[in-house]
Amino acid sequence: MFNIFNLQKNYGTIEVLKNITMRIDDGEVVTIIGPSGSGKSTFLRCLNLLEVATAGRIFYNGTLLDQELDSKRLRREVGMVFQKFNLFPMFTVLKNVMYAPMHVNKLPRREAETLAYELLAKVGLTDRAGMYPSQLSGGQQQRVAIARALAMQPKMLLFDEPTSALDPELVGEVLQVMKKLRQDGMTMAIVTHEMGFAKDVSDHVVFMDKGYVVEEGQPQQIFNQPKEERTQQFLNRILLGV
Amino acid sequence: MNTTLASLHFAQAAEYLVPSLVHGAGLVLQTTLAGFFLATLAGVLIAVGRLFAWRPFRVMLYGFLEIIRGTPLLVQLVYIYYVVPLLLNLLAGMFGYKTDVQISPMAAGIAGLAINYGCYMSEVIRGGILSIDRGQTEASLCLGFGRFETLVRIILPQAFKSIVPALGNYLVMMIKDTSLLAYVAVNELLLRTQTFASQTFFTIEAYTYLALAYLILSVPLSHCVKLVEYKLSNSERQ
Repeated sequence: MFNIFNLQKNYGTIEVLKNITMRIDDGEVVTIIGPSGSGKSTFLRCLNLLEVATAGRIFYNGTLLDQELDSKRLRREVGMVFQKFNLFPMFTVLKNVMYAPMHVNKLPRREAETLAYELLAKVGLTDRAGMYPSQLSGGQQQRVAIARALAMQPKMLLFDEPTSALDPELVGEVLQVMKKLRQDGMTMAIVTHEMGFAKDVSDHVVFMDKGYVVEEGQPQQIFNQPKEERTQQFLNRILLGV
Repeated sequence: MNTTLASLHFAQAAEYLVPSLVHGAGLVLQTTLAGFFLATLAGVLIAVGRLFAWRPFRVMLYGFLEIIRGTPLLVQLVYIYYVVPLLLNLLAGMFGYKTDVQISPMAAGIAGLAINYGCYMSEVIRGGILSIDRGQTEASLCLGFGRFETLVRIILPQAFKSIVPALGNYLVMMIKDTSLLAYVAVNELLLRTQTFASQTFFTIEAYTYLALAYLILSVPLSHCVKLVEYKLSNSERQ
């Protein structure tokens, strides 16, 4: 789905991403882990052109992405879920989900509504359809955000730390929904600090630090026998608190 | 001259002046409505231009803003009414055309109010736009909306909601500033009162009625603004 070659991103003189080459296949779940400030989110945002890379090339299904040119089409196929949900506060839950299908895909209202109810059922929030985002818990808001992204019927979803802004007891419900998506065969790239989850659902784990991809591989290998010392250190710190 | 209160002729003054003021009030409301609508439009365009337009254009807008904010509304009105037509005729003359462009008092008045208020309101609108979390724009872009659609569908409605009180104040101010239109021959309240007072010498009575007329127009309006503000803040709990 994505082929990324020598991706580089600078903010002024600060190099955030250094020479990243990666590949994400159809139906694959890739999780990106690493300490904060390692460039994980920036990398994810380069994939749907929220950030424009300084150098390097990204191919989406064989097409080279160049800046704004393909961004609208690309974003219809590659959805995104944010750390802070970013639901539209002036719309009800239902309208949040049906808004883009109606106005971007020009779906008739009735169809968009049916679609929205289906997706709300999928994330377990049918009974919240008439509420406003501010009336929901963080976990519920994030599930609505996932339904909203799914409403565009994307081929792939990007998750930018989807559970980092949640109270610990609300993390599970969001991860549950994401597991369901995996079972449906959705291609996903997930930036997360939930190591147990990453180990469970990933086909492929990428460890990033200071803008580099330090190590990548199967989850079993990364979590049980990391080759690099920095990966080991990071996992120890997160999993064991040392 | 008799200087007791009994020498005031409020009833007599009212008989002639009040119908005239009622008539003028209609004009004031029309002017304010048109002026405020155009000012809001101008404000949005200026705000959006200053935020997102091509850089040289942004600089030009800022220059324009400085000119408008650095000169009094009264001067601007006089300039639009008397000077702009002369300039246009001069310009046409340079190209060999003989023209006699004139601007009607109403049109000049509304244009002046719209431009002047548009500039001040653009700063408020700009602040409103900037106050909306960047995540809203990103979420909208990620759903496949373009930048313009995102601005119109997602950002501006939220921005406006937060600045309704400020814009409402401008509306109330504008209704009072229509009195300046007397100087470009719009037959609004002040001009009617002046004419009446100079003919009858009911100076105290006339201007007291004038002040009352403005109060009657602006106080209910400012309460309407408060009501709208209250309704908006309760339409959704944030």
